[in-house]
Formats: sequence, C-alpha cells, structure tokens
Amino acid sequence: MSDNSNFDAIIIGGGHNGLVCANILARKNKRVLICEARKECGGMVNNEITNYVPPVTTAVSSSLGGMQVNYLPKTTIALSETGQHIRLVGNQHIDHKSISTFSSQDADRFNDFHEKMSKFSKTLGSFMMASPPRIMNNSFSDYFKLFKLGLNVRLLGKKNFNEFARMIGLNIADELEDNFENTLLQGLIAHDSVIGSNLGPRSPGSLINLLYRMAIHNNSLFGGIFQIEGGNDQFTKHLIEKCKSNNVEIKTSASVKNCIVEDDCAVGVELINGEKVYAKKIISNVDPRSTYFSLLGSQNLDTDVKRKIKHHRSKGRVAKLILDLNKLPSFNNCDDIDLDSRMVVAPSIDYIEETFNPSKFDKLSLEPTLEICVKKDSDQNPKLDIQVQYAPYKTDQGWENVKENYIESIIKIISKYAPNINECIEHKKLITPDDIELEYNVSGGHWHHGEIQIDQLFMMRPIPGASQYKTHLDGLFMCGAGTHPGGGLTGISGKNAAKAVLDDF
Amino acid sequence: MTQDLRYSALKKTPFHSRTSMASRTNKYYNWNGYTVPTEYSTTELEYTAARNGTSVMDLTPMGKYEITGDHAHRFVDYLVTRDLSEMKDNTVAYIIWCNEDGKVIDDGTIFKFSSTKFMLCCAVKIYNWLNDSAYGFDVSISDVTDTIAALAIQGPTSCSTLKKFGAEDLEKLKPFEMREYKIDGFDILISRTGFTGDLGYELWTDPKNAEATWDNIEIAGKELKLRPFGMNALEMTRIEAGFIQTNTDFMAAEDSLRPTRMRSPYEIGMGWLVHLNKNSYFVGKKALKKEKEESTTERCLVGLDIDGDKPAHGSVIYNSKKEDIGIVTAALWSPIMKKNIALASLKRPYGIKIKENIFAEIYHPEELEYRKIWARCKVVKRQFFNPERRNKVPADLYE
Repeated sequence: MSDNSNFDAIIIGGGHNGLVCANILARKNKRVLICEARKECGGMVNNEITNYVPPVTTAVSSSLGGMQVNYLPKTTIALSETGQHIRLVGNQHIDHKSISTFSSQDADRFNDFHEKMSKFSKTLGSFMMASPPRIMNNSFSDYFKLFKLGLNVRLLGKKNFNEFARMIGLNIADELEDNFENTLLQGLIAHDSVIGSNLGPRSPGSLINLLYRMAIHNNSLFGGIFQIEGGNDQFTKHLIEKCKSNNVEIKTSASVKNCIVEDDCAVGVELINGEKVYAKKIISNVDPRSTYFSLLGSQNLDTDVKRKIKHHRSKGRVAKLILDLNKLPSFNNCDDIDLDSRMVVAPSIDYIEETFNPSKFDKLSLEPTLEICVKKDSDQNPKLDIQVQYAPYKTDQGWENVKENYIESIIKIISKYAPNINECIEHKKLITPDDIELEYNVSGGHWHHGEIQIDQLFMMRPIPGASQYKTHLDGLFMCGAGTHPGGGLTGISGKNAAKAVLDDF
Repeated sequence: MTQDLRYSALKKTPFHSRTSMASRTNKYYNWNGYTVPTEYSTTELEYTAARNGTSVMDLTPMGKYEITGDHAHRFVDYLVTRDLSEMKDNTVAYIIWCNEDGKVIDDGTIFKFSSTKFMLCCAVKIYNWLNDSAYGFDVSISDVTDTIAALAIQGPTSCSTLKKFGAEDLEKLKPFEMREYKIDGFDILISRTGFTGDLGYELWTDPKNAEATWDNIEIAGKELKLRPFGMNALEMTRIEAGFIQTNTDFMAAEDSLRPTRMRSPYEIGMGWLVHLNKNSYFVGKKALKKEKEESTTERCLVGLDIDGDKPAHGSVIYNSKKEDIGIVTAALWSPIMKKNIALASLKRPYGIKIKENIFAEIYHPEELEYRKIWARCKVVKRQFFNPERRNKVPADLYE
C-alpha cells in the first residue's frame, strides 16, 4: 500500500499526456501517482482507436530523456472509383510528378499552395509548442507572448500578412476550388482539413483546422504522417516503462470520483471505492467538461465558469469500423505498397459536404467519408481499420437500431474500390462516439477532448481563464488534449502542464 | 390578472385599480415592466405618513423567485456571499450576490420556508443568473413575480394597522421573521421586513386577494394616519436608513458596460455580508478572498453630513486640495433628522482613514439659475436614522 499523504502529484487518467506529464515530474524528483480508471493506461492511444500519428517533437522527447520508438512514414492515397488514385508522400518533387499526371496546373499550384500553408503553419506552430498566454490576468509576459504572435504574423511580410488575415476564418472549400481543378485532389485536402472535427469543408474556420493539423505534422500536408513500428500502443508501452524506471506509481482500475477540496484548494482525490489519496498537486488528464463538472463539482464553480464549460463543444463525430478479414481484399489498381498506405475515400468536396449535412441533424449519411488503414492482428491476420467521418454523437433513431445498416453502407462504399471485400470479412465491429465516451471516459467521445476551432484554441483552450493548464481551483491542473495545443499524439499538453505544475511547487 | 398585453406597453399590478384611484398626480414610472406610482399626492405628505403613521406601497413589481428542491438550501448558500447554512425556517435574510470577479450583481432578501423551499426578492430581474448558477444543483427556479401580490406596510403604526386588519399577535414577530396568516379565506404571508429603516412589514398574497386586502388595510388604518406612498417617498426613507439601491449607489455587475464601474461588496459597505470563512464555496469567493488578502479595495460608500440645507444631488466630492475624490450617489435634506445628508462613493483612503476636510460642490437650482455652494462634509455612519422602535419586540401598538 502506498503512503497516502506522501505524493507530490496525482495524475487522473493515464492517457499519453498524463504519462508524459508524470515522467517529467518524476524526473524532477517528484513522487507521482497515476490513477487510471481502465484496466490499462494509454487512453485512446492504442491499436484500436489510433491509426496514424504525428511525430513527437524533440522538445517533448528530450524532456523525457529520449523516446525509443520508431516512426514509419506513410503515403496517402486518394482512392478513385476509376482506379486513377492520387498518391502523395510529402516530397515536393514526387508529389508534383504524381499530380501532374492529372493536371500540370494543379501540380504547380500544389507546390505554391503547400509552401504558403507550410509558412503559415510554422508561424502558428511556434506559438503552439509553448504554454499560451493567459488573457485574463493582465501580466506583462502574457501580453508579450500575444504581441510576439502578432509580430511573427506581421513579419511574414505585407502580402503574406494580408493573406493570413484573409485565410484565418475562411472555409477550405473556397480556397481549394480557387487553386485546383482536380476534384479528387480537392476532396483529399478537404478531408484532412475536417478530419476529427465538427466542420464541413464549407464551414467557416475549416481552413485553420488544416493549418493546425500541419503544425503538428511537420508543417507538411502529407509528409508528417506516421505509424509507430510494432503498433501505436508501443508509444504508451514505452512511456509506461519509463514510468517504472522513474518510480511513478500507477494504479489501474482506480476510477476517481471527485477531487477532495479543502480550504478552496484541491488536496487529493477520492476513488470510487471510497479510498482517499492526498497530494500537493492534482493534475487532471480528463476532458475539460468532466474535469469541471465531475472532479471539481459544480458547487465549487462560479456561475460564469459553468456557463463557459457548458458552451464548450466536445461532441465527437468520428466512428471506427474494424473489419477482421480472412484475407486481404484486392483494391482496384493497388499494389502491396499502396495497401500499406493511408487510403482515403473522399472523392470530392461536395461528397464530404453531403456526408456532413445529415450529421448536423443527428442523422446518418449512407455515403460516409473514410480513411482506411490495413493492419495485422496478433495472429498476423489482416484487418481493415476504418475511420468514418461524420458519425453523429447520437442518432435520432438510437445507435443500436441503425448500427447494422450503417456498417453495411460503409462496406458498400468500400466495395466500390475493393469489389471482393464481402467475401473477406470474418467479423465487424463499429465503435461510435458514444462508445468512445463510455469506454474511455471522454465526454462527447471527442478525439481531442474538445473541438479544434478558433474559439477553443490557444488562450481560449479549453475556456478563457483556464488556459495555461490551471483550472479555477487552486492545486488542480489539466494536462489533457482539452488544453493547448490539444489533440494528436504529441505529448505537448502533458509537457507544458508539467512545467506549469513545477513552477507552482 | 388577465390583461390584453397587445395594446399595453406596461403591465398593471393587481392593485392597479386601487393605486390609480388613490393617485392625485397621475405620476407613474416603469418598474420591471409594471406601471406603478412615483407619487400619489405630495411626496412630503407620503414621507410624513411613513415616519409618523402607516404607509402602504405596491411592491408587486419586485422580482420574486421561488427556489425549490432537495438542494435548495445548499444552492442558496452557494449563490450568496453571506453564510446562510444556519438559517432557520420562517426567517428572512438580507443578502447580496456577486459574479465570478467578486463584483456585486444585486442585493435582496431571501425567505426560508423550509430547507427545500425559498423565495428570493430583489429589485431587478435575475432569472437567467439564477438558472445558470443552479446548474449541477437539484433545484428548480420559477419566476413568481406575477403570481404573488406584495405590499409594504411601513411606519410606527403599521403593526397596529395590520393587527386591526386581522394579523393576530403580530407585535411578537421579531425583525426578519415571517408568519403565515389566513385572513378572509386567503393565505397571507407577513414578514417583518422593509426598506424604510423603521418598524414595518411586507405582505405577500394571491393576486385575487389583492384588491380586498388593499381595501381592508385602508379601513384598518383609517384612524392610524394611513396613506399610500410612492417611489419618491420611499427613496427619501431609504437614504435616511442608509440602504443602498442597485444602479443608483452602485452599478450592477451584469449591467455595467465599463469593468471599472463594477463594485465589490467591500466598496459599497457590504463587507459585513461576505463570509469568506463559509465552509462551502460561493460565487465570487475566490476573487473576494484575493481582494481581501491583497487589500485591493479601491472605493467605499459612506454617509456624509453636509453643511447647509441644500441637498447635494450628484455633487462631486473634493479634498482640501480640490482633488476629485468621489461622487454623491443619493442626497436629501432629511426632515426627521433636520440634517443635510448624502450617500457618497469615495476613493479610499478618503472615507476610511480621512474623514475630515472633505467638500461637496453643490449646484443648487434657483429658477433657471444655479447657485454654486462649496459645503464642508463630515463622514458619518451610513445609517442616519435608526429608531429604537424599529427592532423593538413586542412592537409598539397604538389605538
């Protein structure tokens, strides 16, 4: 049994950000306990939920003393019913050649577009890696940070500055239609702009979503997409090993009921089984809504804070379909290397927009947008792991009544590209956003613990007044994807939170 | 009361047939969407009734909210700055509530019927605030402004008037207590509360019973110098009592456009209502604790005793170096105190550490010309008028 009062920090939730945070604290000689509600740590970073990941930054890996995981770069293929797929690897020359087989104009413009977007994502990115300024406490350093972002944007030059200002609230569809004539290329880039979000390609703000995605994927549209050798759960396995060597204590199946508040300060946690554990700092890796309403409790919150958290948008719109196969289906005009790539079914902007439309009304689209990944299970049997965009959080008919039909409609779409898919399927499993909510204790079942949109980014993430990894309760911090910069397997939130906690000791 | 609202901008209270009959001046104003008299005959006469007899005022437009549910007591304690955890059934408490920055939204009174039923009364509408604050508590909030008719019965003979009206043993009711009566088949709640700083009661009943109640009280008070009184006379009495008025003496935090105009309880003399050692959290606690610990309070609201007899309406207050140090928020020549008094918001340390050598610049209107008066002021207790009879138990009775 652990000594109940001797911890420096308790981290609620053993997702990857929690593990990163724990290790950094432990490396600074803090005694850390992780309370994980599930049977194992890792949260949504596993082989079931995560298909592709961005690379971990050197800042994060060096603060962990190095990460020994191997990143395998992945090609992206936009599937076409005619077999005229577009293959992009993130290399300027190869991609140019690939696109020019369809349109030499698009190929040239793709390079220009990529250069421009990359420049903007770098500008945003420099701001994204550090702790964001806090806009509500009037401190000089916070204003300086804000000023620096403004300056960085201004230093792009007058032309770029105007372009940046034009693009910040723009929808991606307009920008793509202005640049490209090939609808498949438009569809592919639009897909990556709206992936994981509640936006359609024609929704205002969908462009900044793409910049955000590029900023964590090496400032590249298709060049920063990886899988981890041995499966994405190697990332968490490696972090858990580090926890062991850093003497971080991990309690699994230890669901936290609430924070213990004494004298308006968080001093510990109470587990579902009634056990109480005390520590100097409490760090929540749970999504903001649960952190505030469950851990902190609405009786400890000011009215305005409740209002802000209630407005926090965190409903997921991505489902996962896992098809266990007896053999790999043959995709039209695809070779083995293609099957090892990220295959995207998003033939045009309009296709995606039409998929998006019904989801606004909690209805299902029978022609969803897909991202297909071929994996192997532990017995080396192939399986298809399919990310299905715009599966509403709740359907008006109830998920249990429509799941079967929905699965069939997805398979029907795949059969357009792999006609023999049906004879290969052994077993089907659909994970909907509300399944994710239940299984991973993420309210809304949102990948990123909250929408990545301009009103919920930077110093507004998760809510104004709670950025910089602090909550409204002294002693309680947040380190999850709901905080800046949020989302993606980067560990930046966990690293920045650890710094904020250390500064507070 | 049914009323065709299509053609009427303002609602009429259930007492309207009676108040309009009593009105000799036809002076009305808009209070929370209701039309109510500012003055019935002359303000001075109405004021005199309030200080020497019984005055009756239509309080129906006051915002009234019923808070019910298992968490009602916990919620009320969370909403306000005052520690209400020990509040007893059938009592009333004066309260203020703040936003997250610890700035005052409004003041009011809270009536406790039981731990699962409360009624909150205040001058402005706050339904949204209550509802948003109640998130996470097992309570339901309903606006009962329209469904409860309310009268203020204030003045030295008010107890006698209400006894004659049928409220038995009313003299034994202590200040801030309430009791339910059944008079002429109707439930009537009487609380010993008021806004005049004198002996007085407030009466709450069904709108159907409103006209009969008005008539019977008028009959009961016939020999006791009873008179209806309007907002102007109430304003005089409340300044004498040192009571504050939202959006007059301070800007409500939810209404002020400029953040610097918002006031914390310590800045409007309501620090005594803030219980930072309360066991549970309350809205604004964090900010108020910080303000207290760091002593960042900037202003104060004080009473001023001003030389001369010309009321200092809206006067700017200066120190001896003629530097602007504050403003008068409410002023009058007090007939009962025979003093020129005012409430003023001053920049600290004026009003707290420096109480002398303060001057008001009074512009006294005299038939389209202003006379400028430089009057010396003394900082005094805000409660100018506080007679013994106000809190006496049993209350004074008159034949």
